[in-house]
Amino acid sequence: MTMSGDSQQRIDAYFGQLRARLRGIKDEEVREIVEELRSHVVDKASAFGEVTPAGVDAALAALGNPEELASQYLTDNLLARAVVSQSPLQILRSLFRWASFSVAGFFVLLGSLIGYFFGVVFILVALLKPLHPHTAGLWALPSSSGDFEMSFRLGFGVVPPGGRDVLGWWIVPIGMVVGCGLVMLTTHIAVWFVRQYRKSRVTPQG
Amino acid sequence: MHMKERDARDQETGDKWEVQLRKGCLELAILAALWDGRRYGLEILRRLESDSDLIVSEGTVYPLLSRLKTLGLVRSEWVESDAGHPRKYYALTPAGKRRALEMTRIWARFSSSMGKLLAPLAKETR
Repeated sequence: MTMSGDSQQRIDAYFGQLRARLRGIKDEEVREIVEELRSHVVDKASAFGEVTPAGVDAALAALGNPEELASQYLTDNLLARAVVSQSPLQILRSLFRWASFSVAGFFVLLGSLIGYFFGVVFILVALLKPLHPHTAGLWALPSSSGDFEMSFRLGFGVVPPGGRDVLGWWIVPIGMVVGCGLVMLTTHIAVWFVRQYRKSRVTPQG
Repeated sequence: MHMKERDARDQETGDKWEVQLRKGCLELAILAALWDGRRYGLEILRRLESDSDLIVSEGTVYPLLSRLKTLGLVRSEWVESDAGHPRKYYALTPAGKRRALEMTRIWARFSSSMGKLLAPLAKETR
């Protein structure tokens, strides 16, 4: 297949722009998307045996502008992936992407971050209790107002005087169950929101 | 002036409805285009153009294929071609076949009941 430098240049410029806008998708997948579309453009532009600049222009125009194309890939892919994978990291990635263009996405991301944060804290405390038996756990510490305030302690440093270890060794099973439960619950709720969002946007742009 | 505005509005809502209708059918159309064997993107597009009334934009079909793959309804493989560059072929997975059949059932039921409802109107437009 012969191609003039001019045609090659146009194709490279288009895919350079597309690639730059596919941030958030794994490199390997970006490469595959670009390779597939490139082969599509060459196939289309070479309908009459040879790749012409005009043919390339027409094929690229038919794909639409790189920005819109990239946004379809990002939204479609990341959200579908979040729903399928159920992995907190993948879900957070998708939510970051969603939050970047939608207020609803921002709040779902915020809620998920809080949910995951507390889940991880519970699990961490449970895991660190055996290592720091006398200092890790859920502690009631005297506060300035005379009340007690609850505090998760990972066991590094010393406990302030007057503190009481509320759960003792129970923090290990309770921390694990509550922590894992929170992570799972957060995941389910986030995926539910993503699903609702996907349904609502079957076609906002024509 | 007033009439013109209303015509324009009717025209626009009509167009939007048609766009939504077509887009809603696209997933099923793609699965159907893969029913009898693997195809690459451009083949799928040509199949849709020739065998269906769907005017599909290429910028919609490729991201959709990628989503169908993520959902496990199609799988893909790269195959060397005579054209000198490899092409990405898509094929239905067992889950994709099940989904296509299920969607076809829903489609058939829906379109036959809509057909009944629309029969008197269809006479008018003939």
